[in-house]
Amino acid sequence: MALFEIRSLRKQFNDHQVLKGVDLDVMEGEVKVVMGPSGCGKSTLLRCLNRLVEPCAGSIRFRGEEVTGSGVNVRALRQQIGFLFQQFALYRHLTVLDNTTLALRKLKGMKKQDAAERALHELDRLDMAGHAHKHPAHLSGGQKQRVALARALAMDPAVILLDEPTSALDPVMAREVAQLIRKLHSERVTMLCVTHDVEFASAIAERVTFLNQGLVQAEERLCVLQNNHEHPAIREFFMTEKRTP
Amino acid sequence: MNLWTAFGRDLIEQSPLILGGLRDSLLLTAIISLTGFFLGLVVFYLRHCPVALIRMITRGYISFFVGMPLIVLLFLMYYGLPQWGVRLTPFTVAVIGFTFNVAAYNAAYLTTAYQALDASELEAARAAGFRPFPIFRFITLPQVLRLSVPALTNQVIRNLKDSSVAFLIQFNDFFSRVQELAATNFMFFRSYLFAAIVYLLLVMILVLIARQVERRVMLPGVYTPPENLNPTAN
Ligand SMILES: Nc1ncnc2c1ncn2[C@@H]1O[C@H](COP(=O)(O)OP(=O)(O)O)[C@@H](O)[C@H]1O
Ligand SMILES: [Mg+2]
Repeated sequence: MALFEIRSLRKQFNDHQVLKGVDLDVMEGEVKVVMGPSGCGKSTLLRCLNRLVEPCAGSIRFRGEEVTGSGVNVRALRQQIGFLFQQFALYRHLTVLDNTTLALRKLKGMKKQDAAERALHELDRLDMAGHAHKHPAHLSGGQKQRVALARALAMDPAVILLDEPTSALDPVMAREVAQLIRKLHSERVTMLCVTHDVEFASAIAERVTFLNQGLVQAEERLCVLQNNHEHPAIREFFMTEKRTP
Repeated sequence: MNLWTAFGRDLIEQSPLILGGLRDSLLLTAIISLTGFFLGLVVFYLRHCPVALIRMITRGYISFFVGMPLIVLLFLMYYGLPQWGVRLTPFTVAVIGFTFNVAAYNAAYLTTAYQALDASELEAARAAGFRPFPIFRFITLPQVLRLSVPALTNQVIRNLKDSSVAFLIQFNDFFSRVQELAATNFMFFRSYLFAAIVYLLLVMILVLIARQVERRVMLPGVYTPPENLNPTAN
Protein backbone atom coordinates (compact mmCIF):
# COMPACT_ATOMS: atom_id res chain seq x y z
CA MET A 1 0.00 0.00 0.00
CA ALA A 2 1.19 3.53 -0.77
CA LEU A 3 2.04 5.58 2.30
CA PHE A 4 2.62 8.75 0.30
CA GLU A 5 1.00 9.42 -3.06
CA ILE A 6 2.39 12.62 -4.50
CA ARG A 7 0.72 13.96 -7.64
CA SER A 8 1.65 17.00 -9.77
CA LEU A 9 3.27 18.66 -6.78
CA ARG A 10 4.28 22.23 -7.50
CA LYS A 11 6.15 24.76 -5.46
CA GLN A 12 7.53 28.14 -6.36
CA PHE A 13 9.29 30.74 -4.24
CA ASN A 14 8.24 34.13 -5.58
CA ASP A 15 8.64 33.51 -9.29
CA HIS A 16 11.30 30.82 -8.94
CA GLN A 17 9.70 27.47 -9.84
CA VAL A 18 11.35 24.73 -7.78
CA LEU A 19 8.94 21.79 -8.12
CA LYS A 20 7.15 21.66 -11.45
CA GLY A 21 4.76 18.76 -11.04
CA VAL A 22 6.39 15.93 -9.12
CA ASP A 23 4.75 12.48 -9.07
CA LEU A 24 6.07 10.01 -6.54
CA ASP A 25 4.81 7.08 -4.49
CA VAL A 26 6.34 5.81 -1.29
CA MET A 27 5.21 2.30 -0.39
CA GLU A 28 4.82 1.01 3.11
CA GLY A 29 8.02 -0.67 4.30
CA GLU A 30 10.03 0.69 1.40
CA VAL A 31 13.29 2.66 1.40
CA LYS A 32 12.86 5.20 -1.37
CA VAL A 33 15.89 7.13 -2.52
CA VAL A 34 15.68 10.40 -4.43
CA MET A 35 18.84 11.75 -6.04
CA GLY A 36 19.55 14.83 -8.02
CA PRO A 37 21.94 17.76 -8.40
CA SER A 38 22.10 20.37 -5.70
CA GLY A 39 19.33 22.95 -6.01
CA CYS A 40 16.97 20.64 -7.92
CA GLY A 41 14.37 20.80 -5.13
CA LYS A 42 15.10 17.69 -3.05
CA SER A 43 14.85 19.46 0.32
CA THR A 44 11.81 21.40 -0.83
CA LEU A 45 10.10 18.14 -1.82
CA LEU A 46 10.70 16.61 1.63
CA ARG A 47 9.60 19.80 3.39
CA CYS A 48 6.33 19.85 1.49
CA LEU A 49 5.49 16.40 2.85
CA ASN A 50 5.34 17.59 6.45
CA ARG A 51 4.26 21.11 5.51
CA LEU A 52 7.43 22.86 6.65
CA VAL A 53 7.02 24.32 3.19
CA GLU A 54 3.54 25.07 1.80
CA PRO A 55 3.03 23.46 -1.62
CA CYS A 56 1.49 25.73 -4.27
CA ALA A 57 -0.47 23.10 -6.17
CA GLY A 58 -0.88 19.37 -6.55
CA SER A 59 -1.84 16.69 -4.12
CA ILE A 60 -0.13 14.75 -1.36
CA ARG A 61 -1.98 11.80 0.11
CA PHE A 62 -0.65 10.35 3.32
CA ARG A 63 -2.23 6.96 4.14
CA GLY A 64 -4.94 7.83 1.65
CA GLU A 65 -5.77 11.22 3.11
CA GLU A 66 -5.07 14.56 1.53
CA VAL A 67 -2.61 16.57 3.63
CA THR A 68 -2.35 19.75 1.56
CA GLY A 69 -4.68 22.70 1.96
CA SER A 70 -6.32 24.13 5.04
CA GLY A 71 -8.29 22.09 7.53
CA VAL A 72 -5.45 19.60 7.98
CA ASN A 73 -4.05 19.14 11.47
CA VAL A 74 -0.47 19.91 10.52
CA ARG A 75 1.01 19.24 13.96
CA ALA A 76 -0.67 15.85 14.22
CA LEU A 77 0.66 15.05 10.74
CA ARG A 78 4.18 16.07 11.72
CA GLN A 79 4.10 13.80 14.76
CA GLN A 80 3.64 10.85 12.43
CA ILE A 81 6.55 11.83 10.20
CA GLY A 82 10.13 11.62 11.45
CA PHE A 83 12.59 14.07 9.92
CA LEU A 84 16.37 13.82 9.78
CA PHE A 85 18.40 16.88 8.90
CA GLN A 86 21.80 16.98 7.28
CA GLN A 87 23.17 19.06 10.17
CA PHE A 88 21.63 16.64 12.74
CA ALA A 89 19.75 19.49 14.48
CA LEU A 90 20.08 18.08 17.98
CA TYR A 91 19.04 20.49 20.73
CA ARG A 92 22.47 21.42 21.99
CA HIS A 93 21.44 22.43 25.53
CA LEU A 94 19.92 18.99 26.18
CA THR A 95 21.58 15.66 26.81
CA VAL A 96 21.13 12.78 24.38
CA LEU A 97 18.42 11.35 26.62
CA ASP A 98 16.57 14.66 26.96
CA ASN A 99 16.80 15.20 23.20
CA THR A 100 15.05 11.87 22.75
CA THR A 101 12.40 12.35 25.45
CA LEU A 102 11.41 15.99 24.86
CA ALA A 103 8.73 15.33 22.25
CA LEU A 104 7.54 12.19 24.06
CA ARG A 105 6.91 14.19 27.21
CA LYS A 106 5.69 17.48 25.81
CA LEU A 107 3.78 16.22 22.75
CA LYS A 108 2.69 12.72 23.70
CA GLY A 109 2.30 13.65 27.37
CA MET A 110 4.29 10.68 28.60
CA LYS A 111 5.59 10.57 32.16
CA LYS A 112 9.27 11.27 32.60
CA GLN A 113 9.99 7.68 33.63
CA ASP A 114 8.07 6.11 30.74
CA ALA A 115 9.56 8.51 28.22
CA ALA A 116 13.08 7.72 29.44
CA GLU A 117 12.38 4.01 29.16
CA ARG A 118 11.15 4.35 25.60
CA ALA A 119 14.04 6.65 24.68
CA LEU A 120 16.66 4.32 26.14
CA HIS A 121 15.14 1.44 24.21
CA GLU A 122 15.56 3.37 20.94
CA LEU A 123 19.04 4.60 21.86
CA ASP A 124 20.04 1.06 22.70
CA ARG A 125 18.74 -0.13 19.35
CA LEU A 126 21.17 2.31 17.72
CA ASP A 127 24.03 1.59 20.12
CA MET A 128 23.83 5.00 21.77
CA ALA A 129 22.44 4.13 25.21
CA GLY A 130 25.93 4.43 26.70
CA HIS A 131 26.03 8.09 25.65
CA ALA A 132 22.62 9.00 27.09
CA HIS A 133 23.97 11.62 29.48
CA LYS A 134 26.34 13.36 27.07
CA HIS A 135 25.61 16.60 25.31
CA PRO A 136 25.60 16.74 21.49
CA ALA A 137 28.80 18.79 21.45
CA HIS A 138 30.66 15.80 22.85
CA LEU A 139 29.55 13.37 20.13
CA SER A 140 31.01 12.63 16.71
CA GLY A 141 28.97 13.39 13.62
CA GLY A 142 27.97 9.77 13.14
CA GLN A 143 26.87 9.51 16.76
CA LYS A 144 24.83 12.70 16.41
CA GLN A 145 23.03 11.32 13.39
CA ARG A 146 22.24 8.12 15.30
CA VAL A 147 20.78 10.16 18.16
CA ALA A 148 18.70 12.13 15.67
CA LEU A 149 17.46 8.82 14.27
CA ALA A 150 16.65 7.51 17.75
CA ARG A 151 14.82 10.75 18.53
CA ALA A 152 12.71 10.29 15.41
CA LEU A 153 12.09 6.58 16.00
CA ALA A 154 11.00 7.16 19.60
CA MET A 155 7.90 8.94 18.30
CA ASP A 156 6.95 5.74 16.47
CA PRO A 157 6.51 7.52 13.12
CA ALA A 158 4.85 6.02 10.07
CA VAL A 159 7.75 7.15 7.91
CA ILE A 160 11.12 8.86 8.30
CA LEU A 161 12.24 11.54 5.85
CA LEU A 162 16.00 11.90 5.57
CA ASP A 163 17.50 15.04 4.02
CA GLU A 164 21.08 14.24 2.94
CA PRO A 165 21.80 12.40 6.19
CA THR A 166 25.43 11.67 5.26
CA SER A 167 26.57 14.89 3.61
CA ALA A 168 28.11 16.18 6.85
CA LEU A 169 29.77 12.83 7.60
CA ASP A 170 33.03 11.25 6.51
CA PRO A 171 32.76 8.06 4.37
CA VAL A 172 33.28 5.69 7.30
CA MET A 173 30.47 7.26 9.28
CA ALA A 174 28.30 7.43 6.18
CA ARG A 175 28.71 3.66 5.79
CA GLU A 176 27.65 3.25 9.43
CA VAL A 177 24.47 5.24 8.81
CA ALA A 178 23.79 3.17 5.69
CA GLN A 179 24.09 0.03 7.76
CA LEU A 180 21.58 1.36 10.27
CA ILE A 181 19.14 2.23 7.53
CA ARG A 182 19.41 -1.30 6.13
CA LYS A 183 18.74 -2.65 9.60
CA LEU A 184 15.67 -0.42 10.03
CA HIS A 185 14.51 -1.44 6.55
CA SER A 186 14.64 -5.07 7.59
CA GLU A 187 12.41 -4.07 10.51
CA ARG A 188 9.96 -2.59 7.98
CA VAL A 189 10.51 1.08 8.80
CA THR A 190 9.41 3.19 5.82
CA MET A 191 11.96 5.78 4.73
CA LEU A 192 12.24 8.44 2.05
CA CYS A 193 15.83 9.51 1.67
CA VAL A 194 17.18 12.37 -0.37
CA THR A 195 20.89 12.32 -1.16
CA HIS A 196 23.51 12.97 -3.74
CA ASP A 197 25.98 10.52 -2.22
CA VAL A 198 26.13 7.70 -4.78
CA GLU A 199 27.90 5.20 -2.54
CA PHE A 200 25.36 5.80 0.21
CA ALA A 201 22.44 5.49 -2.22
CA SER A 202 23.73 2.21 -3.59
CA ALA A 203 24.15 0.88 -0.05
CA ILE A 204 20.53 1.48 0.94
CA ALA A 205 18.50 0.94 -2.22
CA GLU A 206 18.60 -0.70 -5.63
CA ARG A 207 16.24 1.63 -7.41
CA VAL A 208 16.61 5.40 -7.37
CA THR A 209 14.34 8.26 -8.35
CA PHE A 210 16.20 10.97 -10.20
CA LEU A 211 14.93 14.51 -9.70
CA ASN A 212 16.11 17.25 -12.00
CA GLN A 213 14.91 20.82 -12.45
CA GLY A 214 11.81 20.16 -10.39
CA LEU A 215 10.67 17.04 -12.23
CA VAL A 216 11.10 13.29 -11.79
CA GLN A 217 13.35 12.46 -14.69
CA ALA A 218 13.83 8.75 -14.18
CA GLU A 219 13.05 5.98 -11.78
CA GLU A 220 15.42 3.11 -12.38
CA ARG A 221 18.02 0.78 -10.97
CA LEU A 222 21.05 2.78 -9.84
CA CYS A 223 23.42 0.81 -12.08
CA VAL A 224 21.30 1.73 -15.11
CA LEU A 225 21.39 5.42 -14.20
CA GLN A 226 25.12 5.29 -13.62
CA ASN A 227 25.94 3.54 -16.85
CA ASN A 228 26.14 6.22 -19.55
CA HIS A 229 22.46 7.14 -19.33
CA GLU A 230 20.71 8.64 -22.36
CA HIS A 231 19.70 11.76 -20.43
CA PRO A 232 22.52 14.35 -20.35
CA ALA A 233 21.65 15.72 -16.89
CA ILE A 234 21.83 12.24 -15.40
CA ARG A 235 25.10 11.47 -17.21
CA GLU A 236 26.59 14.69 -15.96
CA PHE A 237 25.40 14.13 -12.38
CA PHE A 238 27.03 10.72 -12.08
CA MET A 239 30.22 11.89 -13.77
CA THR A 240 30.75 14.74 -11.31
CA GLU A 241 29.69 12.65 -8.32
CA LYS A 242 32.32 10.05 -9.16
CA ARG A 243 35.05 12.63 -9.23
CA THR A 244 34.19 14.04 -5.81
CA PRO A 245 34.12 11.16 -3.38
CA MET B 1 43.95 65.08 66.03
CA ASN B 2 44.35 62.46 63.36
CA LEU B 3 41.96 63.28 60.52
CA TRP B 4 41.30 59.61 59.76
CA THR B 5 40.23 59.06 63.37
CA ALA B 6 37.90 62.02 63.11
CA PHE B 7 36.48 60.65 59.88
CA GLY B 8 35.98 57.25 61.50
CA ARG B 9 34.13 58.87 64.38
CA ASP B 10 31.80 60.75 62.03
CA LEU B 11 31.24 57.60 60.06
CA ILE B 12 30.18 55.68 63.15
CA GLU B 13 28.01 58.56 64.25
CA GLN B 14 26.19 58.58 60.93
CA SER B 15 26.27 54.84 60.42
CA PRO B 16 22.52 54.32 60.96
CA LEU B 17 21.80 56.66 58.06
CA ILE B 18 24.62 55.29 55.90
CA LEU B 19 23.65 51.67 56.52
CA GLY B 20 20.02 52.54 55.81
CA GLY B 21 21.13 54.13 52.53
CA LEU B 22 23.19 51.06 51.69
CA ARG B 23 20.20 48.83 52.38
CA ASP B 24 18.01 50.98 50.11
CA SER B 25 20.63 50.95 47.35
CA LEU B 26 20.86 47.17 47.51
CA LEU B 27 17.08 46.86 47.64
CA LEU B 28 16.65 49.08 44.59
CA THR B 29 19.36 47.13 42.75
CA ALA B 30 17.74 43.80 43.58
CA ILE B 31 14.26 44.93 42.58
CA ILE B 32 15.21 46.53 39.27
CA SER B 33 17.41 43.55 38.42
CA LEU B 34 14.44 41.22 38.85
CA THR B 35 11.76 43.40 37.28
CA GLY B 36 14.14 44.39 34.48
CA PHE B 37 14.92 40.72 33.87
CA PHE B 38 11.30 39.60 33.67
CA LEU B 39 10.10 42.57 31.63
CA GLY B 40 13.14 41.97 29.40
CA LEU B 41 11.96 38.39 28.81
CA VAL B 42 8.50 39.61 27.85
CA VAL B 43 9.92 42.23 25.49
CA PHE B 44 12.24 39.63 23.95
CA TYR B 45 9.33 37.24 23.43
CA LEU B 46 7.20 39.93 21.80
CA ARG B 47 10.20 40.97 19.71
CA HIS B 48 9.78 37.64 17.84
CA CYS B 49 6.00 37.51 17.90
CA PRO B 50 4.30 36.51 14.61
CA VAL B 51 2.29 39.77 14.55
CA ALA B 52 4.32 42.35 12.63
CA LEU B 53 2.80 45.33 14.46
CA ILE B 54 3.83 43.98 17.87
CA ARG B 55 7.34 43.32 16.57
CA MET B 56 7.53 46.89 15.38
CA ILE B 57 6.33 48.29 18.70
CA THR B 58 8.83 46.26 20.72
CA ARG B 59 11.65 47.25 18.40
CA GLY B 60 10.62 50.86 19.00
CA TYR B 61 10.51 50.23 22.75
CA ILE B 62 14.04 48.89 22.78
CA SER B 63 15.55 51.69 20.72
CA PHE B 64 13.65 54.34 22.68
CA PHE B 65 14.80 53.22 26.12
CA VAL B 66 18.30 52.28 25.04
CA GLY B 67 18.63 55.68 23.38
CA MET B 68 17.14 57.77 26.20
CA PRO B 69 19.51 58.80 29.02
CA LEU B 70 18.15 57.28 32.21
CA ILE B 71 18.44 60.51 34.15
CA VAL B 72 16.17 62.30 31.66
CA LEU B 73 13.57 59.59 32.13
CA LEU B 74 13.80 59.85 35.93
CA PHE B 75 13.52 63.65 35.88
CA LEU B 76 10.62 63.48 33.47
CA MET B 77 8.71 61.25 35.85
CA TYR B 78 9.78 62.85 39.13
CA TYR B 79 9.74 66.56 38.26
CA GLY B 80 7.60 66.53 35.11
CA LEU B 81 4.64 64.35 36.02
CA PRO B 82 3.55 66.41 39.08
CA GLN B 83 2.63 69.17 36.62
CA TRP B 84 -0.02 66.75 35.33
CA GLY B 85 -1.10 65.95 38.86
CA VAL B 86 0.79 62.67 39.10
CA ARG B 87 3.00 62.59 42.18
CA LEU B 88 5.15 59.51 42.71
CA THR B 89 7.63 58.75 45.49
CA PRO B 90 11.33 58.75 44.57
CA PHE B 91 11.42 55.00 45.13
CA THR B 92 8.49 54.37 42.76
CA VAL B 93 9.97 56.60 40.09
CA ALA B 94 13.33 54.87 40.41
CA VAL B 95 11.81 51.38 40.17
CA ILE B 96 9.66 52.24 37.15
CA GLY B 97 12.31 54.24 35.32
CA PHE B 98 15.06 51.69 35.88
CA THR B 99 12.82 48.76 35.04
CA PHE B 100 11.94 50.16 31.60
CA ASN B 101 15.56 50.99 30.92
CA VAL B 102 17.05 47.72 32.17
CA ALA B 103 14.39 45.64 30.39
CA ALA B 104 15.26 47.30 27.09
CA TYR B 105 18.93 46.46 27.54
CA ASN B 106 18.22 42.89 28.61
CA ALA B 107 15.88 42.36 25.65
CA ALA B 108 18.63 43.65 23.37
CA TYR B 109 21.15 41.16 24.85
CA LEU B 110 18.70 38.28 24.44
CA THR B 111 17.99 39.31 20.87
CA THR B 112 21.70 39.30 20.09
CA ALA B 113 22.00 35.80 21.53
CA TYR B 114 18.98 34.73 19.46
CA GLN B 115 20.92 35.49 16.27
CA ALA B 116 23.49 32.91 17.38
CA LEU B 117 20.95 30.08 17.64
CA ASP B 118 21.05 27.24 15.17
CA ALA B 119 18.01 27.67 12.93
CA SER B 120 17.97 23.96 12.14
CA GLU B 121 17.23 23.13 15.80
CA LEU B 122 14.18 25.37 15.73
CA GLU B 123 13.12 23.77 12.46
CA ALA B 124 13.62 20.29 13.92
CA ALA B 125 11.27 21.21 16.76
CA ARG B 126 8.73 22.48 14.26
CA ALA B 127 9.10 19.29 12.21
CA ALA B 128 8.50 17.24 15.36
CA GLY B 129 5.12 18.93 15.75
CA PHE B 130 5.79 21.50 18.48
CA ARG B 131 3.75 24.69 18.61
CA PRO B 132 5.54 28.07 18.60
CA PHE B 133 5.27 28.69 22.35
CA PRO B 134 6.73 25.33 23.45
CA ILE B 135 9.56 25.88 20.96
CA PHE B 136 10.24 29.22 22.64
CA ARG B 137 9.92 27.73 26.10
CA PHE B 138 11.96 24.54 25.63
CA ILE B 139 14.49 25.38 22.90
CA THR B 140 14.88 29.12 22.34
CA LEU B 141 14.71 30.43 25.89
CA PRO B 142 17.06 27.96 27.62
CA GLN B 143 19.73 28.51 24.97
CA VAL B 144 19.35 32.26 24.73
CA LEU B 145 19.47 32.66 28.52
CA ARG B 146 22.61 30.59 28.81
CA LEU B 147 24.31 32.47 26.00
CA SER B 148 23.36 35.79 27.65
CA VAL B 149 24.57 35.04 31.17
CA PRO B 150 27.67 37.26 30.89
CA ALA B 151 25.65 40.19 29.53
CA LEU B 152 22.80 39.73 31.99
CA THR B 153 25.04 39.53 35.07
CA ASN B 154 26.99 42.51 33.81
CA GLN B 155 23.72 44.39 33.73
CA VAL B 156 23.12 43.59 37.43
CA ILE B 157 26.51 45.15 38.21
CA ARG B 158 25.57 48.17 36.13
CA ASN B 159 22.29 48.39 38.02
CA LEU B 160 24.16 48.64 41.31
CA LYS B 161 26.43 51.38 40.00
CA ASP B 162 23.66 53.24 38.20
CA SER B 163 21.40 53.14 41.25
CA SER B 164 23.60 55.91 42.65
CA VAL B 165 22.04 58.42 40.26
CA ALA B 166 18.72 57.96 42.06
CA PHE B 167 19.88 60.51 44.63
CA LEU B 168 19.17 63.15 41.98
CA ILE B 169 15.45 62.50 42.43
CA GLN B 170 15.67 62.70 46.23
CA PHE B 171 16.05 58.97 46.75
CA ASN B 172 18.07 58.50 49.96
CA ASP B 173 20.46 55.84 48.71
CA PHE B 174 23.92 55.01 50.01
CA PHE B 175 25.61 57.65 47.90
CA SER B 176 23.28 60.43 49.04
CA ARG B 177 24.09 59.57 52.67
CA VAL B 178 27.82 59.73 51.95
CA GLN B 179 27.29 63.15 50.39
CA GLU B 180 25.54 64.31 53.56
CA LEU B 181 28.47 63.01 55.58
CA ALA B 182 30.90 64.96 53.41
CA ALA B 183 28.79 68.09 53.67
CA THR B 184 28.86 68.02 57.47
CA ASN B 185 32.55 67.38 58.03
CA PHE B 186 33.98 68.79 54.76
CA MET B 187 36.17 65.69 54.35
CA PHE B 188 35.23 65.24 50.71
CA PHE B 189 38.17 63.14 49.65
CA ARG B 190 37.84 60.65 52.50
CA SER B 191 34.09 60.41 52.15
CA TYR B 192 34.05 59.73 48.43
CA LEU B 193 37.02 57.40 48.69
CA PHE B 194 35.00 55.49 51.25
CA ALA B 195 32.02 55.35 48.86
CA ALA B 196 34.28 54.17 46.04
CA ILE B 197 35.69 51.34 48.15
CA VAL B 198 32.24 50.18 49.22
CA TYR B 199 31.00 50.12 45.61
CA LEU B 200 34.12 48.26 44.49
CA LEU B 201 33.70 45.61 47.18
CA LEU B 202 30.06 45.08 46.27
CA VAL B 203 30.91 44.81 42.57
CA MET B 204 33.62 42.26 43.35
CA ILE B 205 31.12 40.12 45.22
CA LEU B 206 28.70 40.32 42.29
CA VAL B 207 31.45 39.39 39.85
CA LEU B 208 32.31 36.30 41.88
CA ILE B 209 28.67 35.24 41.97
CA ALA B 210 28.32 35.88 38.23
CA ARG B 211 31.31 33.63 37.50
CA GLN B 212 29.73 30.80 39.46
CA VAL B 213 26.44 31.18 37.62
CA GLU B 214 28.24 31.24 34.28
CA ARG B 215 30.18 28.11 35.05
CA ARG B 216 27.06 26.28 36.09
CA VAL B 217 24.81 27.05 33.15
CA MET B 218 27.20 27.42 30.23
CA LEU B 219 26.19 25.58 27.08
CA PRO B 220 28.38 22.54 26.49
CA GLY B 221 30.47 23.01 23.40
CA VAL B 222 29.98 26.73 23.12
CA TYR B 223 33.12 27.78 24.95
CA THR B 224 35.17 24.66 24.21
CA PRO B 225 35.02 23.70 20.55
CA PRO B 226 33.99 20.03 20.35
CA GLU B 227 36.90 19.13 18.07
CA ASN B 228 39.28 19.86 20.96
CA LEU B 229 37.52 17.30 23.09
CA ASN B 230 36.82 14.67 20.50
CA PRO B 231 39.34 14.20 17.71
CA THR B 232 36.91 12.01 15.75
CA ALA B 233 34.27 14.74 15.50
CA ASN B 234 33.90 16.03 11.99
N1 LIG C 1 12.62 29.37 1.57
C1 LIG C 1 13.09 29.59 0.33
N2 LIG C 1 12.92 30.80 -0.25
C2 LIG C 1 13.36 31.01 -1.50
N3 LIG C 1 13.98 30.10 -2.27
C3 LIG C 1 14.20 28.88 -1.75
C4 LIG C 1 13.75 28.56 -0.42
N4 LIG C 1 14.08 27.27 -0.17
C5 LIG C 1 14.70 26.81 -1.29
N5 LIG C 1 14.76 27.78 -2.22
C6 LIG C 1 15.35 27.63 -3.57
O1 LIG C 1 14.78 26.48 -4.15
C7 LIG C 1 15.75 25.76 -4.90
C8 LIG C 1 15.79 24.32 -4.45
O2 LIG C 1 16.25 24.25 -3.13
P1 LIG C 1 16.38 22.89 -2.36
O3 LIG C 1 15.06 22.22 -2.32
O4 LIG C 1 17.00 23.20 -1.05
O5 LIG C 1 17.38 22.08 -3.28
P2 LIG C 1 18.23 20.78 -2.94
O6 LIG C 1 17.85 20.30 -1.59
O7 LIG C 1 17.91 19.81 -4.03
O8 LIG C 1 19.66 21.21 -3.01
C9 LIG C 1 17.07 26.47 -4.72
O9 LIG C 1 17.32 27.24 -5.85
C10 LIG C 1 16.84 27.37 -3.54
O10 LIG C 1 17.55 28.57 -3.66
MG1 LIG D 1 18.94 20.19 0.19
